[in-house]
Formats: sequence, C-alpha cells, structure tokens
Amino acid sequence: MNQFLGPLDSAGRAPPRQQTRIASFLISAHGALARQLALGLPGQLKAGWQAELNAQLHREAEIVSLLMRATAWVPDFTLPYHTLTWETAWLPKPVTGIADQKLAMTIDIAALGHAVHGAIRPAALLPVEGSAEDPFVMALRRIEFESSRLIQAQIHFLKCDDLKPVRDAVSAAVETRHRQVRKLWAELLEGIGIRRDPERE
Amino acid sequence: MTKSWENFRLRPSPGIDLSQGAKCQPIPRSKLDIDEVNRMPFLAHGSHRIRYELDGPLGAPAYVLVNGLTQYSELWAAYRDALTARGFRGATVDLLGQGASDKPELFISQDDQVEALRLLIGELGDSPIFLSGISFGGLIALRYAIEHGERLAGLVPMSAFAELSPQLLLLGNALRTGLILGGTSYLQDLLLPMNLSDSWLKPLLSNLDAVKRQGWLINDVYALQNLMESFLDFRPLTPLLPAIRTPTMILNGEFDFLTPRSLHETLRVGISDSSLVIIPNAYHAFTLEKAALTADLLARFAEDVLAKRWQGNKAVWIAPDEPGGEMIPFPPGYDHLRAIPVQKAAP
Repeated sequence: MNQFLGPLDSAGRAPPRQQTRIASFLISAHGALARQLALGLPGQLKAGWQAELNAQLHREAEIVSLLMRATAWVPDFTLPYHTLTWETAWLPKPVTGIADQKLAMTIDIAALGHAVHGAIRPAALLPVEGSAEDPFVMALRRIEFESSRLIQAQIHFLKCDDLKPVRDAVSAAVETRHRQVRKLWAELLEGIGIRRDPERE
Repeated sequence: MTKSWENFRLRPSPGIDLSQGAKCQPIPRSKLDIDEVNRMPFLAHGSHRIRYELDGPLGAPAYVLVNGLTQYSELWAAYRDALTARGFRGATVDLLGQGASDKPELFISQDDQVEALRLLIGELGDSPIFLSGISFGGLIALRYAIEHGERLAGLVPMSAFAELSPQLLLLGNALRTGLILGGTSYLQDLLLPMNLSDSWLKPLLSNLDAVKRQGWLINDVYALQNLMESFLDFRPLTPLLPAIRTPTMILNGEFDFLTPRSLHETLRVGISDSSLVIIPNAYHAFTLEKAALTADLLARFAEDVLAKRWQGNKAVWIAPDEPGGEMIPFPPGYDHLRAIPVQKAAP
C-alpha cells in the first residue's frame, strides 16, 4: 500500500485505473450535492445568503464537468456496483432527534456537504512528482482548493445560532456523515492500492 | 427543505488565529507512515482520541510541550532529544484538531484542549511537571496553569498572550479569512514571512513548497478553522493571571510582531513569580528557528526551579545568542517595551 497515487508514468501522470476510480467517486459525491442543491434552492431567491448556495450548486456542477474532461478514463467493471453503493450512501436521511423533518433533512444534507468538502482531500493524494501540466492533477488540486471555500456555507449553517438548541444532534449528524464519507473514501483508495490515515476511518 | 435553508443567516465571523505556522523542514515521510501512526499512543477524551508521545526516563521531571495552532508533535523532536539528554522526560501532544489527534468536525472548545492536557499530565505520574506552549499552545498552557497550577512545577509560555489586542484580533481575522479563501497553503504563505527571520528563510526560498508540504498534508482547513473559531467566545485571561503562583519564565522573540512585547508584558505583570526573557533576533516562531537555544533555556529554567535557585521577581532578561551563554539583565532604567533605547518614565 502506498500513501500517494502512483506509480506515475514518465510524464508525471497517475495510472488511468486510479484516475477512473477516484473521478467516479468524486463525480458521484459532488454530483449528489449538486442535485440536492438544485432541488432545494427556490427558483426565485428569497434571501441574500442563498446566493452562496446558488454559487455552490454551479461549483459542484463544474467539478463534475471538470472531472469528466480531465480524467484518463479506462473501463472498470466494478464501477456499477461501487456507484450504487455510493449513490445509496448520499441519499438524504433526516437527522434523528429533531422533530421538524424539513430541518432534520436539511441538516443531513449540509452534514454531507461538510463531509464531502472537509474529509476528502484529493490533492493530498498527489505525490510531489505529479505533473502540474496534467489535467487530472490540476483537477484534484482545484477540487480541494474549491472545497475549502465551498464548505463555508455548510459551516455557517451548521454552526449558526438557530441550531444551538439542537447542537448535539447536529454535531452527531456531521460526525456520522464524516465517518461514512471517510470509510467510503478509504475503501475506494484501498481498492487502488492507497492507504491513508487509517486511525481516523 | 428550502424553508429551512431560509432560516439561517450568514453571520460575521470574528474568528482569530494566533498561530505560528508549520514552518520546519519537512519531516521524513517515514515519520508519519501508517505503521508509525498505528504505534502512536492515544488518550481518550469522550469520543475523541488525542495522540501523545513520551520520551525519557520514567519518574524523571517532565516537560510537556504544547503545539502552536498549525503545528504537530514531530516538530518538537529536537526538544525531546535535548531535554531527555538533560535528564527530563519529554511529552508532546497533538491537541484536538491537530496532527494525528481527532479533528472534531464543528466545534473545538479551549476547555477541551485544557482537558486534553490534564489527561496527558495525568499519564506522567507524580513527577514534577514543567509545562510549555507556543502561541496558541502557550494560551492553552496558561489556561491549564490557571485551573490546575498546583500540579505544575514550572510554566513557560512562549510567544503567548492572555488577551486579544486590537492588532492581534485583526491579524487573526485576516489570517482566518486567508485560510478560508486560499486554504492552508495560503495561510502558510502568510505565516512564514511573519514568523521567521530572513536568515532562516533565505536558503529555503527556492524550496518553500517542500517546507510547507508536511504542514499542508497534516492540517485540514475545517479543523484549523475550528481551532481559530475557538476564540469566538474568548474572554481575556489577564484578570486570572494572579492565580498562577507557579514559577514562570516568559519567552518572547525580540522581533515578534504577531504577539509583541506588550502582550508578554501582561503576563509578566500578572504572574507573581515570573521573569520575561527576550530572545535576541527572534520572531514569533523562534521555537523552530532557535530550537537548541530554546531547549537549553527550558532545561536551565527547570534545573533552577528544581534546585530552588529560581527567583522570578518579574525581572526582564535578555537571552544569550547561543545555548549555554549568559543571561543578561535588561539594562536598568530603560524601557523594555520600546524598540529604541528610551529611558523609563519615572514612576
């Protein structure tokens, strides 16, 4: 097991099988966030802060589009099974301990966004030898860079004073989503010969 | 769902970062490899795990070293070696949100960090404990000393503070914004020139990415942000400082403008058995830049305390340039808060 992508080819590119598996996972996760935002946002924005979520919706779509174009795809017959597993995991589940079901669902969606943006660090998989000219390398760096901005909407919501009365339930929901996302990410990486941070998964 | 989103409001974020950066030479990858992580000891605090490391002889007086905000235990390796060579035990810890410890997703309270220290010190038995921390770690050490001072034989806050001056508050806010907009790498870019000298930086200028890489790998943005936001409900410790009766050596870099002399002066004035020691030609992150000198000062302080030679007297000293050199009293009659030789005003 390695800690980073590789072995790289002579041009500093990660193996296509690794690219395919990682891109599939990220497309699934960010695509799910995009769908949830698209369904959740009103057609006519009603508050200034919703502009942030509108931006996030399009950033998520951009990440999906970028990966589609930047990845060196190869056939991977395990992907249908993996994708089903991932897509099932992303389905919203109302947070327990909160009577308002709409709020409970919203918290879970935000918790998933926090986990996808916070727990997954695709650029940290890149060895120092990774080529800055390789589109997949640049895509991973860009996704991680954008994630630290995108997560701000989730942080503002999940830490807001309005949720103080249910803070324990919120924290538990975020912790659960982080654990789930980390586990799936770790399993994915193990499947392509990479092992990172085992104690936290 | 839509209605629920409407119910929250983006709020101003008075966050603060008081960190030095992870600005050492990159540690060997083997230091943090999987097998290494699996062998690390952990403390349990609720559902969270806190990674720590102990070196040196059982039963010996112990030095507990507390990280700055973006730091991790490996950065104290030179201190552990130097202190164990002088007969001390060395204890390092990754606070919650740091290094190999758990990183709570939403909230990290400073009370939890103090509790982490309490748990670690509980592992050290009845030996005399010397507690030292840098920057954010210095603040946590001060809080520990206020709450559990009876357990300490000595305290060494370094590049520390008990309150947020307007400059520090605004710098912290700006660093937090930098983290959010530019990620850990940009935060490191800000901290490197702020906290280290030209002479340290110059030979590394062509290799800064390598210098930053381990800190970038080990730090998660949301965790750093949580650490910074642990200052949202910060109350100044200054009124509580007289509760610290422990012998205290306060270390302050001569050119530290992140936590300047005035903030250390608050500690000197508030802690009865204290001395302020100015490290010449040093910036905020002198523990990284002048490890041998700082480790020597830590050891000498502890040896003086254990031999009952220590007298704080709220004195002001100038540290030597090299380990083992002579401590020089700050020239009497001159104002140690000024950067030019101005005589003190008559009382």
